[in-house]
Amino acid sequence: MDTNLPPATCNRQQHLSRRSLLKGTVLTAGGMAVANWGALFHSQTIAAEAKRTGKRCIMLYMEGGASQIDTFDMKPGRPTAGPFRPIETNVNGIEVCEYLPKMAQHADKLAIIRSMKTKSVDHGIGGYHMHTCYPTSDRTAHPEIGAMIAKYLDNPAADLPSFIKMGAAGCNAGSGYLGPKYEPFELGTDGRLPNFANPSVPPEVQDRRAELLKFMEDQYAKEHLARPFASHREAELRTIRLMRARKTFDVGDEWEKAKDRYGDTKFGRGCFTALKLVEAGVPFIEVGHKGYDSHNDNFPCHKALLGGLDPAWSSLLADLQDRGMLQDTLVVWTSEFGRTPLINTQAGRDHFGRAWTVVLAGGGVRGGQHYGSSDRDGFEVEDKPVNEGDYFATIYTALGIDPRVQHYLGARPIWATPEGSKPIKELLG
Amino acid sequence: MNEPFADAKVLHTLPWNSDVISAVAFIGNDHIAAGNKRGDILIWNVSAPEGKTPDPARRLVGHDNEINRLLVTPDGKTLISASSDHTVKYWDAQSDQGEPGSVVLNDGIVPIAVVPLKSKLPEFPPPVEVKVVVQKPIRDLTNHKEWVLGLSQTPNGKTLVTGDDKGVVIVWDLPAGKELHRWQTKYWARSLGVSPDGKTVAASEFYSFRHPDPQNPCRSFQLWDVETGESKVDLSKDIKETMTDVAYSADGKWLAICAGGSGAEKPAGTVTLLDPATGKKIRDMTPPHALGATDLAFHPNGKHLFSSGRDQLVKIWQLEDGTLVRDLGTAKERGNWISAISISPDGRLLAAADGVGQVVIYLLATA
Repeated sequence: MDTNLPPATCNRQQHLSRRSLLKGTVLTAGGMAVANWGALFHSQTIAAEAKRTGKRCIMLYMEGGASQIDTFDMKPGRPTAGPFRPIETNVNGIEVCEYLPKMAQHADKLAIIRSMKTKSVDHGIGGYHMHTCYPTSDRTAHPEIGAMIAKYLDNPAADLPSFIKMGAAGCNAGSGYLGPKYEPFELGTDGRLPNFANPSVPPEVQDRRAELLKFMEDQYAKEHLARPFASHREAELRTIRLMRARKTFDVGDEWEKAKDRYGDTKFGRGCFTALKLVEAGVPFIEVGHKGYDSHNDNFPCHKALLGGLDPAWSSLLADLQDRGMLQDTLVVWTSEFGRTPLINTQAGRDHFGRAWTVVLAGGGVRGGQHYGSSDRDGFEVEDKPVNEGDYFATIYTALGIDPRVQHYLGARPIWATPEGSKPIKELLG
Repeated sequence: MNEPFADAKVLHTLPWNSDVISAVAFIGNDHIAAGNKRGDILIWNVSAPEGKTPDPARRLVGHDNEINRLLVTPDGKTLISASSDHTVKYWDAQSDQGEPGSVVLNDGIVPIAVVPLKSKLPEFPPPVEVKVVVQKPIRDLTNHKEWVLGLSQTPNGKTLVTGDDKGVVIVWDLPAGKELHRWQTKYWARSLGVSPDGKTVAASEFYSFRHPDPQNPCRSFQLWDVETGESKVDLSKDIKETMTDVAYSADGKWLAICAGGSGAEKPAGTVTLLDPATGKKIRDMTPPHALGATDLAFHPNGKHLFSSGRDQLVKIWQLEDGTLVRDLGTAKERGNWISAISISPDGRLLAAADGVGQVVIYLLATA
């Protein structure tokens, strides 16, 4: 595992974070920002900005492929059922797995799409497809959903990153053709800042260093008119700004009070951090939950994972609602694909894209409903198939983003979702 | 003189593919009980001569989820089952009285190694239906509120210990079916063994994460005081794998554990002997199962330990030096693992249940 690397070695997340942080600041405005940094971190200012810019999105990504039959599309009494049993929820007609008892009390918030029919059924390609809306066979470097949302919901004056990922990474496509400004900023699995983000000097020293750096680079740039120098300087300055904002990521004291509700797990802390970041105005946060690739021992594996998922997800929804933020915050529960109805020789379920489930909540989505269905054993979609494009179009529309918005790669137009993608109107408020 | 078990051979193969067969236990020397993941239990009389495959005679109906473990009390009178339906049930092991009924032996899906992206239910063959006596439990223990996978008894048949996925361990007066006391463990209490003197419970606890956090792998192995419910020896730092079974030898000289995990753990299927008092490792049996080990059984001769594994093997070990006596079966990398084993009280027969839906009865030694 990455975390087994020697202490002095960057793990993959940290490495990408450094790189993406530097890449992610190339196009920001120049030295004018320096004067504003201090004030921008005042929490009331941040909250006001968040309110002004509106919609947010938290994506809970079940890395490896969560089993639909063992969560939201159960098949009791059928040969494909497995040992988990359904329980009633707070919505008549909606049942969920017995190991999601807290989520059962939030079913009125959930739009459960049980008819996902997707094409990329392996981890790399599935992760890419479910993050970018396009298959890897399309040779364009498409941006992840987080980058797209960051582009349209970002507050340009904010100092916090607009696209944050933590936990298991299902995709490393990053900002693609949208450019480095929207590269993800990656936190540790539990939502903590990577070590490099902790400054070694006090803020006043950072300021003096920043001014000195700016002076020197200004002098250099007078004789070397080239964009990379400004870009490099901005990357440095943005890093310093982030370091000042680091307290936003420090949820330690509040976490002590919240961890009993969220579950004292890395994923639980990640969800709580996501709440705080949304509160602070970050438009997109992805929280990964690792370990769903249950080719062996699917049931104990899912049972253990759902034990961490249930308190974290339900508390996130409850806290968003209590803060009056659920209406503007779309919470997406997804994977790269689902898992086979048939159980293999290793008591596992394998990869499956023909009829699986994702769940949306908040963000104006109408909860308390199923959309689509699979057949009685879960082998095929029976009603209202939803492909990757429809899924993305629904999310973008819920967030106020035109799903057919065009971008250009040179002279070539590229759309946020493929032609024919349609938002699911029944789910949108 | 032949090596022990050199002449072991298959006596019967009992077909039952309704679901994965997950537990077996001998009732006396000539009957075998097997439970499956559907919650059914069947009993066969295996005294039929070689080559004449017996049909099941009795069907025990009452569980509605996986049978995780079976045991028979030392007097042979009571069969006890632990299930994912949260109950432990007692059954009259000897009675052949009940309602007339039937069971279909081939109505399940034979699992395949990797399920294709596009699949459907297979065509089922014409049903093979057998007439049986249908029996109901004589006692339900309903004190658990989660899957019950831990099940062990003392050799005198007076104490039963059960454990569940809420981490609750319960000590019972076995004949009365009365809870004596309980304690809470941190993780799922899935594999339990109670010492022959009834004073200690060895318990393996874990959460079954595919990628356990190295800082907090969520597993533990401890020796508990039965009377106080307090940990006497915590071996969690020494035993780093997920232990799928724990068993004391009847004479109390050995405590055996086996590592199962998901098969992704390395080493995969280690079988280890511990000092029953201190928990200190005596030796690993070598070579281990190539894939996870699933079940343990001490032979009544006091000299051998049997283990089953996901590699489709039953391994026979010599206790004194940890050497492998022989394997039964043919190793496969991704086959249907052998999920449970049981040895008849006289040591002549071995039953091995597998995921294909069959119980294989081996003749270990002639009388």
